[in-house]
Amino acid sequence: MSQPPRLFASPLARRLAAAAGIDLATLTGSGPHGRIVKADVEAAKAAPRPAPPVPAAAPAPAPVPQAPGVTAPATGYTDLPLSPMRRTIARRLTEAKATIPHFYLTVDIEMDAVLALREQLNTRLAPDKLSVNDFILRAVALGLRAVPEANAAWAETAIRRFTEIDIAIAVATPEGLITPIVRQADRKGLGELSAEVKALAARARDGGLKPEEYQGGGFTISNLGMYGVREFAAIINPPQACILAVGAADPRPVVKAGALAVATMMSVTLSVDHRTVDGATGARFLAALKGLLEDPLRMML
Amino acid sequence: MAESTSDLIVIGGGPGGYVAAIRAAQLGLSVTLIERAHLGGICLNWGCIPTKALLRSAEIYRLMGEADSFGLSTGPLGFDLDRIVARSRDVAGRLQAGVRHLLKKNKVTVIEGSARLSGPGQVAVEGKGAFTAPHIILATGARARLLPGFEPDGRFLWSYREALTPDILPKRLVVIGSGAIGIEFASFFAAFGSEVTVVEALDRILPVEDQEISALARTAFERQGIRIHTGAKVVGLTRHESHVEIAAEAGGQSLRLPADRVIVAIGITGNVEEIGLDTTRARVEKGHIVTDSLCRTDQPGLYAIGDVAGPPWLAHKASHEGVLCVEAIAGLTGLHPIDPRHIPGCTYGHPQIASVGLTEAAALAQGHTLRIGRFPFAANGKAIALGEADGLVKTVFDATSGELLGAHIIGPEATEMIQGYAVAGTLEATEAELIATIFPHPTLSEAMHEAVLAAFGRALHI
Ligand SMILES: Cc1cc2nc3c(=O)[nH]c(=O)nc-3n(C[C@H](O)[C@H](O)[C@H](O)COP(=O)(O)OP(=O)(O)OC[C@H]3O[C@@H](n4cnc5c(N)ncnc54)[C@H](O)[C@@H]3O)c2cc1C
Repeated sequence: MSQPPRLFASPLARRLAAAAGIDLATLTGSGPHGRIVKADVEAAKAAPRPAPPVPAAAPAPAPVPQAPGVTAPATGYTDLPLSPMRRTIARRLTEAKATIPHFYLTVDIEMDAVLALREQLNTRLAPDKLSVNDFILRAVALGLRAVPEANAAWAETAIRRFTEIDIAIAVATPEGLITPIVRQADRKGLGELSAEVKALAARARDGGLKPEEYQGGGFTISNLGMYGVREFAAIINPPQACILAVGAADPRPVVKAGALAVATMMSVTLSVDHRTVDGATGARFLAALKGLLEDPLRMML
Repeated sequence: MAESTSDLIVIGGGPGGYVAAIRAAQLGLSVTLIERAHLGGICLNWGCIPTKALLRSAEIYRLMGEADSFGLSTGPLGFDLDRIVARSRDVAGRLQAGVRHLLKKNKVTVIEGSARLSGPGQVAVEGKGAFTAPHIILATGARARLLPGFEPDGRFLWSYREALTPDILPKRLVVIGSGAIGIEFASFFAAFGSEVTVVEALDRILPVEDQEISALARTAFERQGIRIHTGAKVVGLTRHESHVEIAAEAGGQSLRLPADRVIVAIGITGNVEEIGLDTTRARVEKGHIVTDSLCRTDQPGLYAIGDVAGPPWLAHKASHEGVLCVEAIAGLTGLHPIDPRHIPGCTYGHPQIASVGLTEAAALAQGHTLRIGRFPFAANGKAIALGEADGLVKTVFDATSGELLGAHIIGPEATEMIQGYAVAGTLEATEAELIATIFPHPTLSEAMHEAVLAAFGRALHI
């Protein structure tokens, strides 16, 4: 009889996962030797995962009985007081959408090579598993190195070109969106990027980021692929000029050499501030990104 | 002048810098360490270690005074301050030699001199030439923060340096500031008969500790004859022929405190000047270099660790940052930024005080529902046998998850024991594992077990 592999998790992580109804086997551990620790469970709690695939003939779930005593107020709505963070988000995004001349560029990227490479690396690297997002981050960093014009900001009297490649990653927290920054991302390998993003995201969700860890940055990535979103257009994170909106990688019909085939495709949309970056430049950046992700061995150099 | 290149330059040879250098050498990097004064830094030469040597003399002296209660007789008690200090200097000297040996063994190039950044990846050392490396770690430490009007004057007003090599045993000593350093000196001089007065601006002594522990410490120190004024602000200093008088205000009252010597221990400020930071993009805030969770400054390739990178100002925090920083430079993966909740803090007076994690008040403020456990040493067999039955162990747990949020000890060997809770916290143990652990009998550590049991209504010996 074969035993399931032993799962390493801290006592606290086990308890928190049980309380939240999270199956530890679905988590990747960030602790020593891949041990699942509290931060991993908290991260899983904060990120609603896509619904598991429903088997074709699954019975309809029984209606959930309304908990007794919970009734809507007579007025029909509840006003949730604004937190300082919510206020800042509201102000900055309104300003961005109202004042920045946005334009949008979308490309489809074939992800089969990245997925295959990831699987290979992960069997070798286990338990420090890489996510698709880590590859995207690395590709964006190298893309920005190739097209430095996209790593820029509108500075009212000048166009500011950044010398470092510092990439902000949008993270959803219960309080709202926050963008911790991976600094000098182009100088870091996949493993280092992966560990750093994990740690930053976990601390972002705990509200434990220091201001210098989320202020600044020259480019933002927002990924809603894990929610099954196919494509979307993000609002620019000022004063940066570009934000990349990443959708889900899923199998789609494609035409290859004149014949219909199936490939895992991912659509990304770049929102661009036209004051700082022109259409052709944005397109060059996307072409570089697509090139790297479709031939990911180039990223390993 | 000659230019030497290595993989890593470390500026400062304290517990931050020398540990970083050793770890880097272990990972195969070529390392140059530049130190302007003495290897081992403040910690080994003017901080952690020499204070502990002095306090050991104080402890033995106190025990000699208690000999009779153990059925022992001594001759008349006496001490020689010069020899006590000489022993403390000797201990520091031995350890300094040890650090030099370790660096040599690890093939770290040690340069003696004052280093200054002179451009990206470049360091100049006067009289020694130019050094270059893709990575540079600043570990320049910190110095005592000055209180305007109370600057060390070589006579009445002491910083920790003079207090470590006292010219006299002051009859009346005023200590301004009741953090770990102030309290340790107060404890030392009181043990040898100085009339000690502690003046603290905040409303309690050892303000970073749990309130309950602060209060117990105050009672214990006052019982030894140390006078304590909290909520007290020093406002003036009058110099006389052979003493000074400090004016302070506490709760609307004016105090006049005559003193033969005054120790100012109100905190520290980072050594950020004259190291060429102006040639970089690194930022300084509140006297410290701003770094991210992996000790990186805003200047690519430039890092800062230890006291110069901000609080808590503790040697083990400096060393841990040194290791983390170097491992990130070497490209190791799976690194974990330091969680301040896992950094223990210790005060080595009598009684000893040690803690790790959140105080009860901080845990409440973070919205936890708590379970608190307390166990007094008065109910611990070993403590009674030792004749050291004062003090308490206190645990703070999250009531729902069983997470150990904080632990606080005041009493015998508190500083040696706190690591047990630090290990538990780092392994993310819950109360279940702590309860299931078998503690040896008879030991003081059984009080740590009981304080966990007590939090869940299960204490056995109380
Ligand atoms: C009285 C006292 C008691 C203390 N007790 C404790 C204790 O019990 N436990 C504890 O954890 N901590 C204690 N501390 C704090 C502890 O000493 C510090 O946290 C620790 O030394 C910090 O280490 P560091 O490596 O950051 O800096 P430091 O130890 O200050 O070392 C910095 C080194 O850099 C050198 N340097 C500075 N600038 C230059 C330059 N430009 N070029 C070359 N070299 C340079 C300095 O000469 C120094 O040797 C105590 C401190 C004091 C003052």
